[in-house]
Amino acid sequence: MSQPVLRLARLCVDYPAGDGWLGALEDVSFEVGAGRALGVVGESGSGKSTTALAVLGLLAPEARIAGGDILFKGASLFALPDAERRALRGNRISIVFQDPFASLNPSIPVGRQIAEPLALHKGLSDGAAGEEVRRLLAEVGIANPQQVALAYPHQLSGGMKQRALIATALACSPDLLVLDEPTTALDVTIEAQILDLLEKLRRDRGLSMLYITHNLGVVARICDDVCVLYAGRVVETGSAESVLRQPRHPYTKGLLASLPRVAERKHRLAPIPGRFPDLSAPPSGCIFHPRCHFAVDRCKTEPQVLDKDVRCWRAEELADAAWQAPAEQVDDAPVRVPAADGTPPLVNVDALTKEFRLGGMFNSSRVQAVDGVTLRVAPGEVLGLVGESGCGKSTLGRMLIGLIEPSAGTIGIDGGSQKENRRNAQIIFQNPDSSLNPRKTVEAIVGRPLVLHGLASGGDLRKRVVELLEMVRLSPAYLARYPHQLSGGEKQRVGIARAIATSPKFIVCDEAVSALDVSVQAYVLNVLADLRDRLNVAYLFISHDLSVIAHIADRIAVMYRGAIVEEGPVDDVLGPPFHPYTEALLSAIPDVERGSGVQRIRLRGDAVESGRHVRGCRFQHRCPRKIGAICESETPPVIEPSPGHRIACHIPLGN
Amino acid sequence: MLAYTLKRLAYIAVILMVMSMLIFWATQVMPGDVAQMILGQFATEDQIGAVRARLHLDDPIHAQYLRWASGLLRGDLGVSMMMDRPIGPLIGEAILRSAVLAGISIVFVAVIGIWLGVYSAVRRGSKTDRAISIASYFFISVPEFFWAIVVILMFAGTLGWFPATGYAALSEGFWTWLRHIILPVATLVSGLVAHVSRLTRSSMIETMQSQYVTAARAKGLPENVVIRRHALRNALVPTITVLAIDVGLLMGGIVVVETVFSYPGLGRMLIFAIEQKDIPVVQAGILSVTAVYALANLAADLLYAFFNPRIRYGNALAR
Amino acid sequence: MATRWPASFVVGASVFGAVVVAALLGPHIAPFPYDGIDIMARFLPPDATHWLGTDEFGRDVFSRLLYGGRLSLLMGIGATSVSLVVGVPLGLAAGYYGGKVDETIMRTIDLVISVPPILMGILILSMTPPNPWKTAIAVGIIYVPIMVRLTRGVTLELASEEFVLAARARGERAWYILGAEILPNAWPPIIVESALRVTFAIMLGAALSFLGLGVHPPASDWGLMIAESRPFIDSAPWVALAPGFVLCVTVIAVNLMGDGLREMLDPRLKRGRG
Repeated sequence: MSQPVLRLARLCVDYPAGDGWLGALEDVSFEVGAGRALGVVGESGSGKSTTALAVLGLLAPEARIAGGDILFKGASLFALPDAERRALRGNRISIVFQDPFASLNPSIPVGRQIAEPLALHKGLSDGAAGEEVRRLLAEVGIANPQQVALAYPHQLSGGMKQRALIATALACSPDLLVLDEPTTALDVTIEAQILDLLEKLRRDRGLSMLYITHNLGVVARICDDVCVLYAGRVVETGSAESVLRQPRHPYTKGLLASLPRVAERKHRLAPIPGRFPDLSAPPSGCIFHPRCHFAVDRCKTEPQVLDKDVRCWRAEELADAAWQAPAEQVDDAPVRVPAADGTPPLVNVDALTKEFRLGGMFNSSRVQAVDGVTLRVAPGEVLGLVGESGCGKSTLGRMLIGLIEPSAGTIGIDGGSQKENRRNAQIIFQNPDSSLNPRKTVEAIVGRPLVLHGLASGGDLRKRVVELLEMVRLSPAYLARYPHQLSGGEKQRVGIARAIATSPKFIVCDEAVSALDVSVQAYVLNVLADLRDRLNVAYLFISHDLSVIAHIADRIAVMYRGAIVEEGPVDDVLGPPFHPYTEALLSAIPDVERGSGVQRIRLRGDAVESGRHVRGCRFQHRCPRKIGAICESETPPVIEPSPGHRIACHIPLGN
Repeated sequence: MLAYTLKRLAYIAVILMVMSMLIFWATQVMPGDVAQMILGQFATEDQIGAVRARLHLDDPIHAQYLRWASGLLRGDLGVSMMMDRPIGPLIGEAILRSAVLAGISIVFVAVIGIWLGVYSAVRRGSKTDRAISIASYFFISVPEFFWAIVVILMFAGTLGWFPATGYAALSEGFWTWLRHIILPVATLVSGLVAHVSRLTRSSMIETMQSQYVTAARAKGLPENVVIRRHALRNALVPTITVLAIDVGLLMGGIVVVETVFSYPGLGRMLIFAIEQKDIPVVQAGILSVTAVYALANLAADLLYAFFNPRIRYGNALAR
Repeated sequence: MATRWPASFVVGASVFGAVVVAALLGPHIAPFPYDGIDIMARFLPPDATHWLGTDEFGRDVFSRLLYGGRLSLLMGIGATSVSLVVGVPLGLAAGYYGGKVDETIMRTIDLVISVPPILMGILILSMTPPNPWKTAIAVGIIYVPIMVRLTRGVTLELASEEFVLAARARGERAWYILGAEILPNAWPPIIVESALRVTFAIMLGAALSFLGLGVHPPASDWGLMIAESRPFIDSAPWVALAPGFVLCVTVIAVNLMGDGLREMLDPRLKRGRG
């Protein structure tokens, strides 16, 4: 076997923290073989981005290499003088960062930015570099390289920017391509396009890749090998196939058990309890033991080493043991009482429309963010609303709770007045860092809706707040805490407690779990499911993530450019017949189970924001199954393949 | 861009109109009878009456304003009461001399301030950076008028290198001119350089931490190229806004400096006119400073747009 | 959570506190009246009786310094208060309500801002006889636009935060949202800016009275003292240097305080790596 392109040998990296140091990476070892792709997987704080920066030699100046080595083709990178190390960067080793929106210099045309490494490392003249840039842009699938090369970053969509950045990284035909969450900031259909591109590039160029991600599905699609990081330590490595199918470390097991999946829908997920350890004072023994339900006394005292590719002394004996949900989440999970047939719907939305006026400095235009949406939600029902960014799903959700005035159409919630709606309809937001007022205690935050609506006062108030916290599995110890003292999942649960304080009948969950790590997301999803069953509250569950929706929803509505294109019970929507857009969304999900090699449907171009009303079908520009002129001229009819399952499409049933 | 410029010019015209009304109204309520002041304490009733009639002081205020404003539109700024000369050329010369002072200063402020800011941002935490920080702290905290006095005391008094006050035209020889202008410029520049360098430093530091600078380093570009090509231009965008604000501060400084150094510019003329209650000069003076200031702000905005492609180009390609 | 006060804040606040105390107690601790003319004791250099010497009328410079501080501080604190009291509510309203309210407020502000600060002061002060309160208000009005823009910007940012949306969703009234949700989070940048404004106001106030537009003799003010001593700068430099030095020290102290506050309050400096 040939020499690995990259080898990390017991690398340790520290950051200063207060008076001491925080071990961001501890004893990290792995290899990227020639022509192979290694996935480095971890949740936030696992040290995966530090790994990428260390390989590039771009660690922040305050970081300290506390030990170990990085070998590139067998030679230590730390032994190289600065100039030689720089000569490798962008030349032999290159990187694509997570956020394409921030990685391009806003004031330089894209083509000139791609040409920089060519001029620097290969000494190409302006003309030759320009030629090469256009060739690279074409290679990464950009249809009009000439134009894109001359454009400024803000003129390109996110997908195009990421393609341009990949072209930059490929410019000097590197031996190693480091990818740091390259698709995380992109919509799922665009992510699928970029992943296809990376797969093709690997095939065509025999690239070696270090692929850093939190997404196990992406690893399954792209990588040969995988290395799981937890709290700066490698807990398990191996071939992607074996690690994802037969995880050996409890953390990997937990991670996989936390994952909501389209194919296999469970009653409750099995999350990893507890919170991420404080790395400036890590727990003794195994770093994972406080969150591990397999942990025994020995785990609390004996630090673990990476042995036979896994950092757990019980790995062998636990080989067949599955990760269990924390006891309280299974045992007390309330039983759902299905609504009786013929119950009138709780939420009635008819022909709801929102038109925004976009005022530019020079011109203004009207935009139809939501265009004639009609919805029903039954009591205790979860309606999943899925769509990509800019499709109008958040605007729709905010109209339902009165945050945005509709331009036309009606909203009825349990036949109540607007004042009653304030209590009956609530919202849970996406961003745990922004959803709680940083200057208020948990008690004040959760208690305020009770005070406002006169539902509790005096000693009752605290009692009620404690009850609400218990419902989201937070102890009364949290009453006096401020948001900055909480973890992301805890903040989100406080937000949920606040939303249920007025005993609403309907809650809009606006990307309520999207900002959370997988294990925490599973915990919050379970809490939401419990509340639904215990309080019989209905959700409009808005998400871009079809797997999450598939897990929690009873019915799904698929939104595209301001309108619902398909709607129906979960099983009907997730199985054929499909609306072409739903089909594309489904096939775009990088799924742990499917891996690579499944036939995929890909959309052309980028997601188009809701806009002026178009003639014909609003999906015509990107539709892979467009049948002809009729799609451009006539609004598609609504067909109903089975009761309650509606598809707005010209394609006749049976095709 | 052209449409935007025209729109802004129209807005400036509106501002000047409103300001002219405000100025006119304000100067009318100035204490003291103008005719009395012109003629002195011993004037007779008749003489005062005659002057009042000549200056139309007995007309209703809106008629006086309209007469004044229509004069402005024809380029007639009125006649100085004290000097009994047309204000137009008088102010023209003064503005020119102030503009020389301001122009030289702003160039120095921009060049030295930006250079110092970038230098200390790049060497953040070093001794040089700390020295520059402390020095700029000090210079920001010293008011111009006190600084002027100290400078005069040192360089004109003790050392005797430069004349303490006065003005020499360029026609009197370059060196004479230079010797007279060095101290005023040094006084004006000191505080503003500190201001600009501090803000450039912080904006540069912020830019250096941006993702695209890391991306540029990841291409293997040497640090000086990263700074010059990728960081500097974007860091300068907020600095331009700061420079525009500083033009306002500079004008305040110019009034003070011209007074202290007896430099015959617009600022000294204005203070002199206020002391002497020479109302037409006050009116014309304030109005012209407002106009210059508004134009300077417009220039800054256009420069800002020039440095910012997001404004310069539309979003045409995003499909 | 124990708050650690940054050193710059401690130093700045101590010096500024001392200046404030001296100015408040000035009339009681001053060894001489501020306008006590003594022709026989003109231009005495500093000695044991006249700690900082005397000026051209034989007035005690140290005593005048103590009195003059009151005006400068009034200028700094008074003007900043005026700009806060007027500017913050306008900024909150403009940022929260948007639309026509925003448009009206901001166009008016644009008008005020289109006049260079010192001219605004000159214009206001040249209308009527000088009076320290009026000067403070004039300088305060000059700074209103900056406060409005700052507050509006912060409010706009906060108004789209999810906790504000949550408050609106549960039906809170505007005054509660502005007062209990937005304002407590908007204070840090406003406080930092206010500290900066105090220094600018002190300097601008001093400059105006230096130009003869602030207070009239024989009243005492640091800026005026420097102006009066100008003709004798060569023979009696202490008369100008003393107030100048005190002025600079005060300004530096407030600047230090502002930086300390920024260090404490700016979440960007606090937040570590993500």
